[in-house]
Amino acid sequence: MSAAARVEKAVKEYGVGDTRVRALDEVSVEFAAARFTAVMGPSGSGKSTLMHCAAGLDTLSDGRAWLGDTELSALGDRELTLLRRERIGFVFQAFNLVPTLTVRENITLPLDLGGAAPDPAWLDTLIEVVGLRDRLHHRPSQLSGGQQQRVAVARALAGRPQVVFADEPTGNLDSRSGGEVLGLLRSAVDTMHQSVVMVTHDPAAAAYADTVLFLADGRLVDTMREPTAERVLDRMKAFDGRRTRAGAR
Amino acid sequence: MNASVRIGARSLLAHRRRLVGTVLSIVLGVAFLTGTMVLGDTLRANFDTLFADANAGTDAVVRSADAIADPGVPGGVRAPLDDALTAKLRAVPGVGAAEGSVQGAGQLIGADGRPIGGQGPPTWAGNWITDPKLNPYRLAEGRAPAAPGEAVINRGAARTGKLHVGDTTVLRTPDPVRITVVGIATFGADADGMGPSTFTALTLADAQAHLTPRGSGQVSTVRLRSDSLSQRQLVERVRPLLPSGVEALTGADATAQSTADVSGRFLGLFTTLLLVFAGIALLVATFTIHNTFAIVTAQRTRENALLRALGASRRQVLGTTLGEALAIGLLASALGLLGGFGVAAGLKALFAAIGFTLPTGGTVIKAATVVLPLLVGTLVAAGSALAPALRAARTAPLAALRDAAVDEAASGRSALLRGALGALLVAGGLPAVIVGATRGPSLVLTVGGALALLLGTVVLGPVAAATAVRVLGAPLARLRGVTGALARRNAARNPGRTAATASALMVGVAVVTLFTVFGASVQATLDDTVSRSFAGDLAVTAPAAGAGGSGVSPKLAPALAALPEVRAAAGLGRGVAQVDGHGKQLDVANPGQLAQVTDLGRVDGSLADLGADGLAVSRTEAAARGWQLGTVVPMRFADGPAAFTVRALYRGGGVTGDYLISRQAWQPHRVQDSDGLVAVALRPGVSLAAGKAAIARVADAYGNPQVQTRAEYAESSASGVDMMLSVVYALLALAVLIALLGIANTLTLAVHERIRELGLLRAVGQTRAQLRAMVRWESVLVAAFGTAGGLALGALLGWALTRAADSAGTGSFALPAGRLAIVALVGLAAGALAGLRPAARAARLDILRAVAAA
Ligand SMILES: Nc1ncnc2c1ncn2[C@@H]1O[C@H](COP(=O)(O)OP(=O)(O)O)[C@@H](O)[C@H]1O
Ligand SMILES: [Mg+2]
Repeated sequence: MSAAARVEKAVKEYGVGDTRVRALDEVSVEFAAARFTAVMGPSGSGKSTLMHCAAGLDTLSDGRAWLGDTELSALGDRELTLLRRERIGFVFQAFNLVPTLTVRENITLPLDLGGAAPDPAWLDTLIEVVGLRDRLHHRPSQLSGGQQQRVAVARALAGRPQVVFADEPTGNLDSRSGGEVLGLLRSAVDTMHQSVVMVTHDPAAAAYADTVLFLADGRLVDTMREPTAERVLDRMKAFDGRRTRAGAR
Repeated sequence: MNASVRIGARSLLAHRRRLVGTVLSIVLGVAFLTGTMVLGDTLRANFDTLFADANAGTDAVVRSADAIADPGVPGGVRAPLDDALTAKLRAVPGVGAAEGSVQGAGQLIGADGRPIGGQGPPTWAGNWITDPKLNPYRLAEGRAPAAPGEAVINRGAARTGKLHVGDTTVLRTPDPVRITVVGIATFGADADGMGPSTFTALTLADAQAHLTPRGSGQVSTVRLRSDSLSQRQLVERVRPLLPSGVEALTGADATAQSTADVSGRFLGLFTTLLLVFAGIALLVATFTIHNTFAIVTAQRTRENALLRALGASRRQVLGTTLGEALAIGLLASALGLLGGFGVAAGLKALFAAIGFTLPTGGTVIKAATVVLPLLVGTLVAAGSALAPALRAARTAPLAALRDAAVDEAASGRSALLRGALGALLVAGGLPAVIVGATRGPSLVLTVGGALALLLGTVVLGPVAAATAVRVLGAPLARLRGVTGALARRNAARNPGRTAATASALMVGVAVVTLFTVFGASVQATLDDTVSRSFAGDLAVTAPAAGAGGSGVSPKLAPALAALPEVRAAAGLGRGVAQVDGHGKQLDVANPGQLAQVTDLGRVDGSLADLGADGLAVSRTEAAARGWQLGTVVPMRFADGPAAFTVRALYRGGGVTGDYLISRQAWQPHRVQDSDGLVAVALRPGVSLAAGKAAIARVADAYGNPQVQTRAEYAESSASGVDMMLSVVYALLALAVLIALLGIANTLTLAVHERIRELGLLRAVGQTRAQLRAMVRWESVLVAAFGTAGGLALGALLGWALTRAADSAGTGSFALPAGRLAIVALVGLAAGALAGLRPAARAARLDILRAVAAA
């Protein structure tokens, strides 16, 4: 099986009655192993929801989700927690680091939580790659936003997880810092054969990926291989046009 | 509605769950305060009713004018009157009835051979007053005593002692008197007795024989009644006929005096003690309230900044926060007020449970009891919120645009200022405490120093908190891995908050420790006293007159001395006299015999030569007053002045007090003679058990006093301390509870504040159990900080109090390691308990709500 993670006919509904929102509407996707997949779509299209459900942070209303061969809906809270700890890495848009822990402690946090000793050589490589060797004993509050996100990426990679999920990891960064973070994710795929799934609404960010999935109104509407920023932008404009038409109707 | 008020009201409603802890701590503190006041007022009213009932038909009381203050007897000791005065007064025109009244201590023995009552409430004996209006007692059964040996007892005593009309029993006066119960009386129309006291009424001649010094022709007071004159007129009419040294006062004044005597001494002490504990509870509550508002306003920084940016004045922001505090304070105080009425009942039950019966009667609620707690509770709330409110008012409008920094570490300058101020207070307080305790000793200096020290510790708390938590938590990180390390850092991340939270517990634990150390020291002192100065083998005791008994008969010691098993037996009686204007307790003994059973250390002069006008004084008391052998000391007894010469000096602080006179010297001044202790030394070769049995056989005929070995005697003299400690612990439990509420509250708020961080931890793989453990350990660490501080401070203050209260310098100091270890354990366990709910709430947290909030 070549998919690192996948969902099948995934449905996620929020609220009840009049306020019911269908955030995912029978979505089926596969995230290929050792590949960089970007999930794009307008705001509110269900990108984050898809990621949360695929990563075991949330449960589906209907349909199924797998991480490798493990079906998530069969797991309880404790198993999901252990799965996240051992087989998934996370990078969020903001607030990625525990403020009371140093950079090094933040990187090894998932391993420490499991009581596992980090592989020193691997840790050393990671520190080298993210370029924060001289900052290891600093607190997150002493780092810039870009540096903080690089630490978050290092933490996500530290346990050599099956998949790294990143939700708008560059959303709060300027383009240069953002480029560094995306470069890190890219090289993780290329040199370490890491599977990465990244949610973004920035075409330039999506261009780092191998594949781009387009979501709209909770449905998968398109897939693009070998994306460039221009092609992604054009595709997005098409959505906006359709949305405007839909709104006018 | 005013905008500030509206905003305040809205945020009150929005944060109501967060304010639960605050409300609860005010409710508890105010309830305690109210309960204390209600109990005080109620008891005062109950006593007043009791004395008014006792004097209901009496229009005037005639008695000796001079009273010698005696710590054991409310109102002091007065010399008896000549009974001839009664007849003389009865003949005065306008006097309807005049009767001599004899009153003394009389311990009644129940059907089972055990004393009835005798633990606090007085046990009275006297004559049956024949005029029904002058006598507050009414016969419920049987008849009045008419012949020698006949007695009427009050219904309460009859019930407790299972005595019925026709039964015979013993009355200890303290000489054992065989009596036959011929009647049972109620107090007033229907009460079982005068409060919880017992009363045995004999014929006048019997009462005089057993309760007055001369044995006949004397009465304690003369009670008068008139049908034609007002109380005042009656007093005016009889006053010119009284011999010198005798006074007349109206029945109303006599009642007022009796109430004042009890209120001033017993009730005053009692309510002051309770008020101190209410104050401690409120002080602890202050920390909790302050913390809650500090956190809530910190969390609301953005909101306040937005308000300021939109044009709200500082004063409006201040008003909003303060108004909120006032509203909470008022609401919680009102709830506390209601709870206080329940607390009053609970306190009474607590004292009853430890065998300390208080008079019954309806609850009295005065206006002040409603207004004062409301005011105090509201002011405490507003006062505690003042600093956070001022900080909120200073919020810069720009803070709305910045990411609100929730964890504010003390900035360099303010930390320095705080450190300097705290150090100053500690530097001033510590020497004051030590000097006050050792030189002098001066209670004022010690207490002042202790307050400065406490304040200094609280001020220094935030400076010390980070380091202390890091040190205390060091083993945690090693034992519990990353969970422990996180707990330790969380506890240290906001030292100000941790310190304020821990301070509340610190105050509670410090007071608990203080009393534990002080109590243990008092016990050790009593123990030492007995082992150092009691050279006998056995001790015979009975509660003394002031302690609700009648003491041991002075005839017992000679009777025991005659036993073949006994080498020596000496009775130690109690007298009172005024020295230098102050009532002093005297020990009365046969000095020659006393020396055989007690060790008075090195004696200067001669104890054997005290004679009828000689005085033996402890060396410390003599030094304090500048007396030497040969100094003539003017003393004043109930029956008048007498000069005594200091003939011996001895080591004080033993079973004997500071003054010792011979029986011969006390004889002319005594009112009702009794011994507090009979010390017995056995002949060589007689076993303790055999000696004890022989003594018990003789003592049995003297109303069954307690016969104890030396060790038992030492233990029982210290047992009162245990009772005091258990009451103090029960009262302090409330303050500790409030402190724990404070920890729980702060943690709940912290969990709320760190919601995204907790979400992140959960997202990257922290299990719920790990999260719970993290919060719980943080709670334990904060508690450990407070407990450690409280133990250290309390032990130091306990030492100081022990030294300062020990003017003779003969007391011992004890650090009860076992008990203090229990205090420490309870503090830690309570910390874990306080963390349970916040931990459970944190574990229920929705990860997505935390991480998705970008
Ligand atoms: N907790 C929630 N409760 C109710 N509706 C939600 C919740 N989370 C997301 N939604 C709704 O689901 C839809 C998809 O949201 P999301 O996955 O966050 O979109 P995206 O990340 O693509 O911007 C939106 O309409 C959003 O309003
Ligand atoms: Mg999103």
